[in-house]
Amino acid sequence: MATFDLSAPESPEAVVAALRAAGPGGATPLAGGTDLLFDLDEGRVAPAHVLSLRRLPWRTLDWVAGALTVGSTLPLRALEDDPQVRTLYPGLYEAVRNVGSVALRQRATMGGNVVRSAPASDLIPILLALDAELDLFGPQGSRRLSVDRFVIGSRRTELRPDELVRSIRFPEPRPSAFCWQRVRPSNDISQVAVATAYSPSDRTWRVAVGGVQPRPRLLPEAARELTGPDPPPAAVGRAAAVAAARSPFVSDRRASEEYRRRLVASLVERAVGLTRPAPPRSA
Amino acid sequence: MTAAARPDAGLKLTGSAPYGTDLDVPGMLWAAFVPAPVAHGRLRGLDLGAARALPGVTVVGPDDLPGLLGPRERDAERPLLVPDEILYRNQPLALVAAPSLAAARAAVAAVRVDVEPLPVVADLESVFPDWPGSDAGAHPQVAAHVHARHGDLAGEFRRADRVLAETYRTASVHQVALEPHACVAEIRGSTWYVHTSTQSPFGVREDLASLLGVPEESLVVDGTWVGGGFGGKGGSFLEPYALLLARASGRPVRFALTYEEEFRLGRTTLPAVIRMETAVRDGSIRARRVRLLLDVGNSLPGRDFATGYSIGFLLGPYRTEAFEVEGYAVRTHKPPFGPHRAPFAPQCAFVVESHLDHVAREMNADPETFRLQHLWVEGSTTPMGQTVGPFGLRPAFERAMTTARSWRAALGPGQGVGIAGGFWSTGTGAGGEARLRLGPERLTVLEGEREIGSGSVLAGLTAVAAQATGIPPDRIDIVYGDTATAPFDSGVYGSRTVGALGRAIQEAAVRLRRTLAERLHGQGQAELVVREGTLVATLGSRSAPVAELLTEAERAEGGLVADGRHFAAPNHLDEDRVVAGQFYPYNDFAGSVHVAQVAVDRATGQVRVERYAAFQDIGTVVDLGSAQAQVEGAVAMGLGTALTEEAIWTDDGRLVNDGLLDYRIPTLGEVPPVDVTFVEGYAGAGPNGAKGLGEPPIIPVPAAVAIATRAACGAHVTELPLSAERVARALKLL
Repeated sequence: MATFDLSAPESPEAVVAALRAAGPGGATPLAGGTDLLFDLDEGRVAPAHVLSLRRLPWRTLDWVAGALTVGSTLPLRALEDDPQVRTLYPGLYEAVRNVGSVALRQRATMGGNVVRSAPASDLIPILLALDAELDLFGPQGSRRLSVDRFVIGSRRTELRPDELVRSIRFPEPRPSAFCWQRVRPSNDISQVAVATAYSPSDRTWRVAVGGVQPRPRLLPEAARELTGPDPPPAAVGRAAAVAAARSPFVSDRRASEEYRRRLVASLVERAVGLTRPAPPRSA
Repeated sequence: MTAAARPDAGLKLTGSAPYGTDLDVPGMLWAAFVPAPVAHGRLRGLDLGAARALPGVTVVGPDDLPGLLGPRERDAERPLLVPDEILYRNQPLALVAAPSLAAARAAVAAVRVDVEPLPVVADLESVFPDWPGSDAGAHPQVAAHVHARHGDLAGEFRRADRVLAETYRTASVHQVALEPHACVAEIRGSTWYVHTSTQSPFGVREDLASLLGVPEESLVVDGTWVGGGFGGKGGSFLEPYALLLARASGRPVRFALTYEEEFRLGRTTLPAVIRMETAVRDGSIRARRVRLLLDVGNSLPGRDFATGYSIGFLLGPYRTEAFEVEGYAVRTHKPPFGPHRAPFAPQCAFVVESHLDHVAREMNADPETFRLQHLWVEGSTTPMGQTVGPFGLRPAFERAMTTARSWRAALGPGQGVGIAGGFWSTGTGAGGEARLRLGPERLTVLEGEREIGSGSVLAGLTAVAAQATGIPPDRIDIVYGDTATAPFDSGVYGSRTVGALGRAIQEAAVRLRRTLAERLHGQGQAELVVREGTLVATLGSRSAPVAELLTEAERAEGGLVADGRHFAAPNHLDEDRVVAGQFYPYNDFAGSVHVAQVAVDRATGQVRVERYAAFQDIGTVVDLGSAQAQVEGAVAMGLGTALTEEAIWTDDGRLVNDGLLDYRIPTLGEVPPVDVTFVEGYAGAGPNGAKGLGEPPIIPVPAAVAIATRAACGAHVTELPLSAERVARALKLL
């Protein structure tokens, strides 16, 4: 590991100013560090400055009429421990609690996961299915961008060099589900991950798949086969078949393309079946 | 028989037990290999000039070796550095030592290597796409050919009601000790001294003498705490290189592998293909034919031990009228084959148990009763003509069947229960010696094995010494010596520690107690007891504090000394059954039977192990807590071999998954609680009839999981590991 200066600015403005001053590649923000530290350790990145975000007031979980806003530096474990997340965003809960290990989730953050944009990210598919929107903080203030537009490739996003992700907003509670397949169930990367959600407000489905190169993506062709909150088995089967046919695939050390296609079909079918309206909220 | 806290638990939990990687000697240099860039090639040029010019850097190339090696004749078949032909990727071409690891790596980067690539043989099936003919023993890629048979094979196959034939494949698995190989070497005057994380200080010394041409009396090997061995830290590995660099630089040299290097260079189990044929008549196994192709990597021709030793495990602990086994050790461009906890036996048990389960199903017989009916019992003759001694396999199998019945009563869809057995040769191996020193109030056990994490030394030997002398465990100290001071011992391997050193301790204890009896003016063996805080020797009505029975000289030296030694009785197989090659007799059979309950996801092929029970033929339990831990750990490790662990090699001999991200050992999430039952009373050769335990409980694990998987969903998987993708293929999902 090369040496670097570590600082922990008190304000987002100070972080952004430091990023601008260092220029591209000269400084790296550090949230949970569960991904970045490997790059630093292996020398894949060698910034002169590492800017810890731990003092920013972004470790937040806010509810406005059921809409959830997650501060970008909130440890994932806090989401998993929130009973409302579990009830109102069941797919998100499932995705979060299956990221890495408990120890890792005590540090890992949703902001970091989106910014690092790994092809096998277990969070991006459910963020896509739930139509999550990012609040980006930069020198010119805020801008909003959907996760679908923000993630553009493997380890590539629309984030500008002097921008930070401030929060991730989920517009409405949705019946949702997250299903995955891994070589090893615990503490591993998914071979395929599928997230599904049904929007009661516009009566549409969203189906997203991860673990496929180069980035997790929505499968609108598959979602179009699904109508209403409880689609018939034939429609679910069609959606699964379309997803398996349309999804981009790779064959690698974790699974063959053939097996990935089979997994997408199986997991889409399973996830749609698990996407059920939330039970009524207790008084 | 009580479970107590492990004596080393506190030291390890607080980080006060220094492992090999913790060694830090003032002024030491850091070492690195210059690795071969191809798996097979001719070394045309090696330009070390730029590396030698770097400040503080010591470089050792092939041309430097003659000036550094010792005066004795050395083993010319084992070159330390590539002389000409590169035989596996990352094979050492040269060595560097520098004041820091970064400087050592920079020096490696400064070396210019010119290589002419040659065709790579990475896959043993590319050597023999079809089963080899009888002349294949002379094939240049064959390191060993073993062949044995007995009985009327042709007649039994001809008269059979059914002949079932299957082909199995098993994968390359690593030991994955948490601590990589690590040592620090120094030249002290005329002594070549190395402090190393090893399973066998005396084994390393012997190896170093033959590799370096240095007489054993000039070599001192001292062990460190060992962060897991599992077979991977048996012989020498980094030690000769660290010593050469120490000699070249005049400084202490630390050599430790990174985890990637541990994977790339590790000597471990490599892939195999096994053909099983079984002839059945009137519901009984009449004849078995087994053929094995075992990848042995860069193992030396004529020195492969694995094939001749392992092939007997492919017949399993089952009676048969006639048999034939034939095996080929196939050289490929990978590092040499090396031992991995019960080397290759879990793979053999997977094959033989899955196959006989299959045979029984095809015969419409109950698979468990079928296997039970054919099991060896005490007095059985093995296929290789050995007589089975006391053997608890059958009672273990019967108890496992009872457990399986009760689990099956509560199964739901997608769940299944399987039973698998296996056996291991737990003979006490080559020699072991121990020295007891009885002080006024405490007993010291001086021996030459380090505790490698199994508990066999600190818990096991303490328990044996306590039982043999009567002295409570909290008054017993285990003291390790280096090879210059400790009594000889051949090392931690073959599940032999408690057996061999335990017997040596018992012998020494008898001597000690006889001497005390004489000093109490009697005969026989004195008893040792603690009375009101004082250690007292008694003989009938006579007694005296130990302090009063020691001579003045003994008090000055720290106590009364008694030595014990144990060498296993030689065992023999029927050489008339050997057609070709070297076979090895087994000793002191220990049986293991496991019950696994799995749930299979029929949409993905994912297998989850939900319940697990292990029945272990152990002779006598020496220390219950560490014995249970050994079984639990072996099951966890075996579940990796069963489900997720697989080293993947490319066609050009590169290891794809050289890290723990893509080489997956089980986590606690994959390991269910293990119900451990010890089957006692079938005595082995160890103290009070104890049998070895380190290896046997890993043997049935992949088989039990595979058979449970077939019971759960019908998937008959003939390849390890049982990845979800393989199960999905067997379920015809793909």
